[in-house]
Amino acid sequence: MADAEGNVYVYGVASAAERARLPDAGVAGAGVRIVEHDGLAALVSDLDSGTLVAAREVRAHWRVIEAAAASTTVLPVRFATVLAGDRAVVDQLLEPQADRLTELLRSLAGRVQLAVKGEYDEEVLLREIVRETPAVSALRERVSTRPEAASYYDRIRLGELVSGEIGRRRTRDQRMALAAFEGHAESIVANEPRSANGAFDLAFLVSRDKVDAFGAPVRALSEALGDRIRLRYLGPLPPYSFVDEQRAQGAPSWA
Amino acid sequence: MAVGTPSSGYLERPKPSGLADVIEVILDKGLVIDAYVRVSLIGIEILTIDARIVIASVDTYLRFAEAVGRLNLAEADDSQGLPELMESMTSGGAKSKTSGALEAVKEKITGGDDDDDDGDDDEKKTPSRSRRSSGSSSGSSSSRRRKSS
Repeated sequence: MADAEGNVYVYGVASAAERARLPDAGVAGAGVRIVEHDGLAALVSDLDSGTLVAAREVRAHWRVIEAAAASTTVLPVRFATVLAGDRAVVDQLLEPQADRLTELLRSLAGRVQLAVKGEYDEEVLLREIVRETPAVSALRERVSTRPEAASYYDRIRLGELVSGEIGRRRTRDQRMALAAFEGHAESIVANEPRSANGAFDLAFLVSRDKVDAFGAPVRALSEALGDRIRLRYLGPLPPYSFVDEQRAQGAPSWA
Repeated sequence: MAVGTPSSGYLERPKPSGLADVIEVILDKGLVIDAYVRVSLIGIEILTIDARIVIASVDTYLRFAEAVGRLNLAEADDSQGLPELMESMTSGGAKSKTSGALEAVKEKITGGDDDDDDGDDDEKKTPSRSRRSSGSSSGSSSSRRRKSS
């Protein structure tokens, strides 16, 4: 079935013992199939072209992993990973990393990733910064009383100060958010917020049967944050954030 | 981007994620294999553009300055007096005006679309929106947290 000579796109790795459900089509419309070795199953598609349109294929990649994760535990592989044929999937992924992958599959089985993202209400945040930062309110005053052309550097300085204050608040708010989830997750990854008004972006590894209980700290945090930060609570996701090196180095130190 | 009105139950359980919600995770996370075959990715620089680069720009500083300058501080007074109520009634547009600086940056990154799963809008994220293809966005933007007890 496979053209063993062609390149293959790799979506993720699952246990060969549990049959992952595969969608009809993956990247570039190609079928999705499995390369099996030593109890591990890599989910792959044959790739004819050397060019992928990222916006379309990100979606395809995501759909394949979502579909498979609905029926089994999947270790997602980084987007746009292409190997030189089935042989390379075995020689460069499944064989050399067999122990680690097997252990990861074992430790992540029955667990999902939940995400809690905090987004600032920009107006509330800026008001707070003006109110609490004398340098900002003074400079704001000064800028407002001078013609635009004459205040160019003051405005840059003002924006820089504001930006710095936002950074400080991000640090503080992330710390507060992390504290709210202590004891509720097996592992936590704090990502740098990627959206511009992001306050924090946290990923939690949670046992599937604890997902319902996880709502309690989310709501408590939301109440504590008031209208400053709006929470988005997403999931369950495959454990994207928990498959890299650091996690593989040991069991979570708290639960 | 549209955000639903908070209701008492909206944090009861996690919301199934759309692609827009998980795109950073898909691009940044996952198993990394060393010996991969290089393929060309069209449009990837738009998807990976790092918000921090934009935020550190003079342009952004000026937008923050403008947003801060626009704030009506009288309205911010915490006392819930009548003047304030009237002010907020008559200036209902203030919020949408000031939400510009941060949102504008975000739109450049995700195209601003909440994922609605209708595959046909993918193309709008391709090259014309590219602002920068600087390689500096490839670093890991995450830090790992673990309780140190």
